Amino acid sequence: MISFILNNTEITTTEPAGSVLLDFIRSQQLTGTKEGCREGDCGACLVLQGKISGNSVIYKSINSCLVPLGNVHGSHIVTIEGIDTGVLNPLQQAFVEEGATQCGYCTPGFILAETAYLLKNNQPKADQAIAALDGNICRCTGYMSIKRAVTKTCTVLSESSGNAKTSSSNLSNLIEKGFLPEYFDDIPGRLKKIPADTSYKIEHPEYVVAGGTDLYVQKEADISDKNIRLIFNSIHLGDIYEKNGFIYLGGGTTVSDFIESDLINRHLPRIKDQLKLHSSTPIRNRATLAGNIVNASPIADMTIILLALDATLLLEGRNGRRPVSLRKFYNGYKKYDLAKNELIRMVFFPVPSAHSSFNFEKVSRRTYLDIASVNTAAYLEYKDDKIHRAHISAGGVAPFPLFLEKTSELLTSSVFNKNVMATVLESARKEISPISDMRGSAEYKSVLLGQLLTAHFLIFFPQLNLMDQEL
Amino acid sequence: MSDKKITKSRFWFEEHEVETISEVPNKKIKPWASDAKLDVVGKPISRIDGPDKVSGRAKYTFDRLLPDTAIAKTLRCPFPHARIKKIDFSKALKLPGVLAVITNEDAPSIPWFHESTLFDSHARYQGDEIACVAAENEAIAEAALKLIDVEYEKLAFVSSAAQGMKNNTPKLYDSGNIHHGKPTIYQRGDAVSGFKEADVIVEDTFTTQCAVHNPLEPHGSLVKWDSDHLTVWDSTQSVFGVRGKVAESLGIPENNVRIIKQYMGGGFGSKLEAGKYTVMAALLAKKLKRPVKIVMDRQEMNLAMGNRPDSTQTIKAGVKKDGTISALSQKSFGAAGAYPSGTGTSWPLRSMYQCPNIYTEEYTVFINAGPGRPFRAPGHVQGTFAFESLLEQAAAKIKMDPLEFRIKNYAEIDQVGNVPYTSKRLRECYELGAKAIGWNKRNKIAGSGKGSIRHGIGMASQIWWGGGGPPAKATMKLTADGQLQVFSGTQDLGTGSYTFIAMVAAEVLEIPMDKIKVVLGDTEICPYAPGSGGSVTAPSVSPAIRDAAEQMKYKLLSFAAVLSHEPIENMRYKNGVITSVNMSSTKYKIEDLVGKLSEKEIVTHGDREANPEGMAIQTFGAQFADVDVDMDTGKIKVNRMVAAHDIGRMLNRKLLENQFHGGIIQGMSFALLEERVIDNNTGKVLSTNLHDYKIPTIADIPEIEVIIASDSDPKISNTGVKGIGEPAIIPTAGAIANAVYNAIGVQVKDLPMTPDKVLKALGNA
Repeated sequence: MISFILNNTEITTTEPAGSVLLDFIRSQQLTGTKEGCREGDCGACLVLQGKISGNSVIYKSINSCLVPLGNVHGSHIVTIEGIDTGVLNPLQQAFVEEGATQCGYCTPGFILAETAYLLKNNQPKADQAIAALDGNICRCTGYMSIKRAVTKTCTVLSESSGNAKTSSSNLSNLIEKGFLPEYFDDIPGRLKKIPADTSYKIEHPEYVVAGGTDLYVQKEADISDKNIRLIFNSIHLGDIYEKNGFIYLGGGTTVSDFIESDLINRHLPRIKDQLKLHSSTPIRNRATLAGNIVNASPIADMTIILLALDATLLLEGRNGRRPVSLRKFYNGYKKYDLAKNELIRMVFFPVPSAHSSFNFEKVSRRTYLDIASVNTAAYLEYKDDKIHRAHISAGGVAPFPLFLEKTSELLTSSVFNKNVMATVLESARKEISPISDMRGSAEYKSVLLGQLLTAHFLIFFPQLNLMDQEL
Repeated sequence: MSDKKITKSRFWFEEHEVETISEVPNKKIKPWASDAKLDVVGKPISRIDGPDKVSGRAKYTFDRLLPDTAIAKTLRCPFPHARIKKIDFSKALKLPGVLAVITNEDAPSIPWFHESTLFDSHARYQGDEIACVAAENEAIAEAALKLIDVEYEKLAFVSSAAQGMKNNTPKLYDSGNIHHGKPTIYQRGDAVSGFKEADVIVEDTFTTQCAVHNPLEPHGSLVKWDSDHLTVWDSTQSVFGVRGKVAESLGIPENNVRIIKQYMGGGFGSKLEAGKYTVMAALLAKKLKRPVKIVMDRQEMNLAMGNRPDSTQTIKAGVKKDGTISALSQKSFGAAGAYPSGTGTSWPLRSMYQCPNIYTEEYTVFINAGPGRPFRAPGHVQGTFAFESLLEQAAAKIKMDPLEFRIKNYAEIDQVGNVPYTSKRLRECYELGAKAIGWNKRNKIAGSGKGSIRHGIGMASQIWWGGGGPPAKATMKLTADGQLQVFSGTQDLGTGSYTFIAMVAAEVLEIPMDKIKVVLGDTEICPYAPGSGGSVTAPSVSPAIRDAAEQMKYKLLSFAAVLSHEPIENMRYKNGVITSVNMSSTKYKIEDLVGKLSEKEIVTHGDREANPEGMAIQTFGAQFADVDVDMDTGKIKVNRMVAAHDIGRMLNRKLLENQFHGGIIQGMSFALLEERVIDNNTGKVLSTNLHDYKIPTIADIPEIEVIIASDSDPKISNTGVKGIGEPAIIPTAGAIANAVYNAIGVQVKDLPMTPDKVLKALGNA
């Protein structure tokens, strides 16, 4: 039995936990939620999911086509019909006035993605508000009018909130300004009445599903009516904490959790911007670290980052727990050291030293919502004038996410200069084995990795003027 | 004498010149003057369907469902080329919830495409229709597809046009892989001697990829029979086109078929023709005596719902030292896919600039892949990229400013028909566009900039028909409550037809927009209007709306004159109120006039007038691109686009900008991102979803400035409107390519210009 609130209505359903939220929504005659691709690549099905946190509800955007119905238990699902206040709200009005809707099929998704941003940000900024639409495709407008509508809304909101009582929460501010209907105020109380979710306790599941952002793309038809274990909602899988010189992350940590964690931001101050290139907001809200790792894509952004952070996986199975270094985890294309009943309970890595730098680089054909052609992360730790420790990883250049072991060794204990860089680039070229595919030719990927490694060093050693002879 | 007459008219629909015989107004309404002060038309009015769309209330075909509707799904051939030996669907039929299966064995043999039928035992591409299943729901229908056993004889396949052109290669048809067995040839003057006159000859080969429309709303229909009358809700660009094809396929009179389309989620040409799916659903619905709904998934969209054919174009230009083009030739071929589709690309070369000597030779080649369909300016997008790229080489060779070179070869009259244009404001487009982009800031010598990020500016010109013509009709009904209903069998693809139609009516009758209800896309209640393609909708329909509205106004004036016993010349119409110049007490509100009639309504019928004889109607424009190229990664960033166009009268700035921005972004996407990829080893399509088939997101777009250089073209019609949908996309890729050349000094001759190709062109990879 799955219970949740859909817009302003309490729902209890016996539909299978693995069936897709989008289908359930549309079966309720709520056709404002559209189907465009069923793969999380267009955002036409984007809805909000609100989860209780203390006495309030935190809303995030999700692609309803990739979310198992079981995962919405105990939460508030908001579709375009759910923000109806009886008249067009200021955001909708701005979309109409700026011509930000053309065929209109994508529009509800855009409106909701923007609403998620406004719910999260008291002082909306136009550039961020536009970036929040990274998971939405529009084939008609060319986006210019959408940018204008969003900018206009931000201006109106920040001007008016300047005068508003500072005590009012973001949600009440949006209700007061007519963005959201008043029933949102009662949602926390109503959600608390829904009994807790126990679906992750299912024994002998046919599938274990975390965020499902890739699994549902590959196998939706297989999963939807099976006995599945949903681990996304089991909170202890998503913890982030520091202990004894290590940072621990639950396997269920989403990319959004990672980006928004104060702890992570303290140690990796630039990660927030770097991970904006990872998929899109609604995908980041669901995609988990463990999922990224076991999906074993040779080009997985998070895995490449964790490799350079020298992460270790804590695997949990019937016979207890065992640690495996992420560097040693993969042994072939989509092959890795994980037994049938094991899952990744934790990921941990040493707290980055105060004398270290970290960088992540990615080149993809499209800015957002894209898989890299090549990506790479680098962590360098310094002692005196030397590089004390070096971890370099590279994606898209081998059958699995690659730790550049020899190249990292070369850097260790070196005093970095142009000559070292040349040997490092040469070494990296020898360590990789790219193939030609849709994301580029082998030759191109090899060249690209060289350029991206150079980009690391340009950032780490700006004083060396590494490129001056060419300019 | 009747107020209508039957006449012939000629105009261009997509790449085809059509001659129509149709009813047109006997007396043409005087066109609005170019400088006429209009109150509504031309103003930036918000679209009237906006509130429905931002609130999620807008219902698309995808959202329609009737009680007791069965869901249909199509089994498609998994191989690029195969012959069906046997189909056994007994297991599928046994699956609970499966209602019916149709295949080539039991469906009527309905001719479809070239030498083939609805379900053909010869499957010519991965995605060709093999069977169709109806079930209680979608999941069951999909499960049933997997239970159909098909024994295929796999055949050798052709995966590229170049391969298809060869002699010893698998054949899709007994008549061979080249459509009509020979090229399409166009000649003007004498190209051979024209090249001899030239001081400089440039020749090069350019290639463009196959691109897929991918509108966000998938293709689909909901069908329902009421005895022998079929109603179809279809996501289509042409309700009357679909009616004809469906009626013909099912062997029933057109009047027994009703096609309805209200809102649709884009089409871009892919929804101009009836789909096999509609007829399959109709056959299943007949069998089941239940409504049937069929919608495509994204994979089907990428395999089987049309595409812009690829092209390989070898172009040669002969140029004199003073910049005069003395001859042009083009030899090109493109892959139509498995069934006929236009792959020609030479129209821009034939018609854009003045040139007396031209030779073009074009081959349409069948390959084992999804059939092409018109895609927003078919042929012109590919052709303009290649032709304008070659001209850039020519200008560099004679050391002439590329823009000056184009102005030097400005065509004062239509080069193909040798007749004057109704209007041409391209010179102003060049002038305004160059100023807006900062043309003088480009590299005087291509690639002469420094640094790892190179900046460049380039431009390309545009020509396209977009004049529309008759027949296009509208019916108008004014009722005693002051509401005006407008009916027309055109459709709104998201382009804004609902809005501009209401605006034209509001302009003439001087009533508020919210009193006007526009009903489109219904063959049973709307009079005929053409399919929404070829940029003909606004230029065809807006004059018919004005005609109906002017007649309405005239009827109201005559009625007021009768009531007040005055000659009609004394009556004045203002804001929906009629007064007399002589008697200040005479004052009739139009709704009160209607209320005096027993029928409580006044109805008029408007028609698009015939096009002027002996003149060519063309849209023109020039787009300018400002780009940065990263020399290390090969990535191209388009910073800014300026689009300056001659499109006759602008109906609504907001709608127009939507169309231009959207067209330019599609053009940029064609230049940099989109590509259908086929694995030549297996013949299978690798890009079957929106992840592998890339469309830009909001982060990828440049600033865009749209400049309209025209005010009106009163020679065409009473509204002076030309189309805009296709002009918007035509020069974009060419302008970006020329800007890239200006930045890096080498041309990237193969679209899309991905980073790896840029690095290769630079010799860095």
